[in-house]
Amino acid sequence: MKQRLIIIASVILLLTVIGYMVYDLFFTENDRNNNPYDYGLSELRKSDSTLIAYSEVQQFSTGLSDIYGITTDPMDRIYVAGANGLEIYSAEGNLVSKFPVQDTAYCITIAPDGMIVLGMEDHIEIMNPEGMIISRWKPESENSVLTGVAADETNVYVADAGEKIVYRYDLDGNLLNRIGEKDSLAGIPRFVIPSPYFDLGLGRDNELWVVNSGRHLFEAFRPDGSLISTWGKTSMGVEGFCGCCNPSNFAILSDGSFVTSEKGIERVKIYLPSGEFKSLVAAPDQFEEGTRGLDLAVDSKDRILLLDPWRNQVRIFVYIGDEDNE
Amino acid sequence: MEGQGEEKRINRRKFFRTGAQAGVLVSLGGITALVARKTGSGEFVWQLDPTKCTQCGRCATSCVKNPSAVKCVHVYAMCGYCDLCGGYFLPETKTLNTGAENQLCPTKAIKRTFIEDPFFQYSIDEELCIGCGKCVKGCDAFGNGSLQLQVRQNICDNCNECSIARVCPSDAYSRVPADKPYLLNGFGKEKLDIT
Repeated sequence: MKQRLIIIASVILLLTVIGYMVYDLFFTENDRNNNPYDYGLSELRKSDSTLIAYSEVQQFSTGLSDIYGITTDPMDRIYVAGANGLEIYSAEGNLVSKFPVQDTAYCITIAPDGMIVLGMEDHIEIMNPEGMIISRWKPESENSVLTGVAADETNVYVADAGEKIVYRYDLDGNLLNRIGEKDSLAGIPRFVIPSPYFDLGLGRDNELWVVNSGRHLFEAFRPDGSLISTWGKTSMGVEGFCGCCNPSNFAILSDGSFVTSEKGIERVKIYLPSGEFKSLVAAPDQFEEGTRGLDLAVDSKDRILLLDPWRNQVRIFVYIGDEDNE
Repeated sequence: MEGQGEEKRINRRKFFRTGAQAGVLVSLGGITALVARKTGSGEFVWQLDPTKCTQCGRCATSCVKNPSAVKCVHVYAMCGYCDLCGGYFLPETKTLNTGAENQLCPTKAIKRTFIEDPFFQYSIDEELCIGCGKCVKGCDAFGNGSLQLQVRQNICDNCNECSIARVCPSDAYSRVPADKPYLLNGFGKEKLDIT
């Protein structure tokens, strides 16, 4: 009797062990899928959805193989610059015209007289609205990497990520001065640009705003290069700029607020003219992980136009209260 | 009869001589081939392609060597020498100093050296590096991608069947010619002197 009990108990124990082994082998998630050294980027990409104040209302694909720059004109036409081409779309996203360019255009702006200013691989090019080249010139350095352009009635400002400097030219390409060189007496620390994202733009009072991305700062300059003000905060949190060097791109709304885009944690945000965080336009989960080079433009209705190189699309965002007017 | 015996003896002698000559020739050929394989382009070694790597951590956990033969390699020409380095600091570090609590690397294998304000150089201590790829992920996401994982050929046993290649989810491993054993990505890689 006792022996039989021992045999039954042993068989039950054996079956339990076999059952556990089968479960462990075939029904549990393979430990190999768990990375003990995971960076945890997915946690950082989470955001508070209540901070999102904009809605994506439209997107359209471009006809260029690689896209780098976007801008608008006073008629709200959308200009997209990229590899060997420039495309012009109506405000509704219909292709109006396209021009070939000889190499890659990395940045673009429209001058007040309607001329198209392009920052090319190794030179600056100005063309009329019909695509005819009016003038072109090379920067001084062989190491130049042109990543941002802005223009007013008399000046063309060019951001050079290679030389970490901003050039101010007249419309004929004559160099007037260099902006952002280290000047301790004037309180200019110099630009720190670790990666080829170095954007600039003109504010409401024609002041020049430049992103000092390695310091996570916006810096405002007068045309003569004197520093007016700075703002910015380093943070992985939504209120600041993350990583080594952000924001990568920006645009300015009609009320002087800033629209910024970041890489690493892909997100688009609004900052008040004073530099305080206001809201999110697009959260990280609205982008593919690893997307970078999210150039921005704003039209006369304060719609935000976002260039998404990963998807090869122009994506249009409007303030949630303004959706009905679309 | 006597003449036939003489001929047989000569043939045997000839046979042994020819055999010895052939043996020497085969040995020499074998040694030459072995030397050629070791030094020439005939040999292949394991390497991983950084453009395919997803930093899954298996290079650290699956290699037969302990610590792994996969190490982080720094392509200095691509580096931004950032103060806030995404490959060195934990994501939400408050103070940018070399405190252990601020460092991303689980073995503290990255050395941070001040160059001039605000630039810092980052170098890898290969004896400490376990090839987990955590720093590579941070650098790729927030920086220029100058930190890259590579199989270090001076450590790798070059197994017939690489145990990491078997489990690599992105199929980043392949055999490459031994005379070009590294597959670094980006500009400036040719300036890097690694063996």
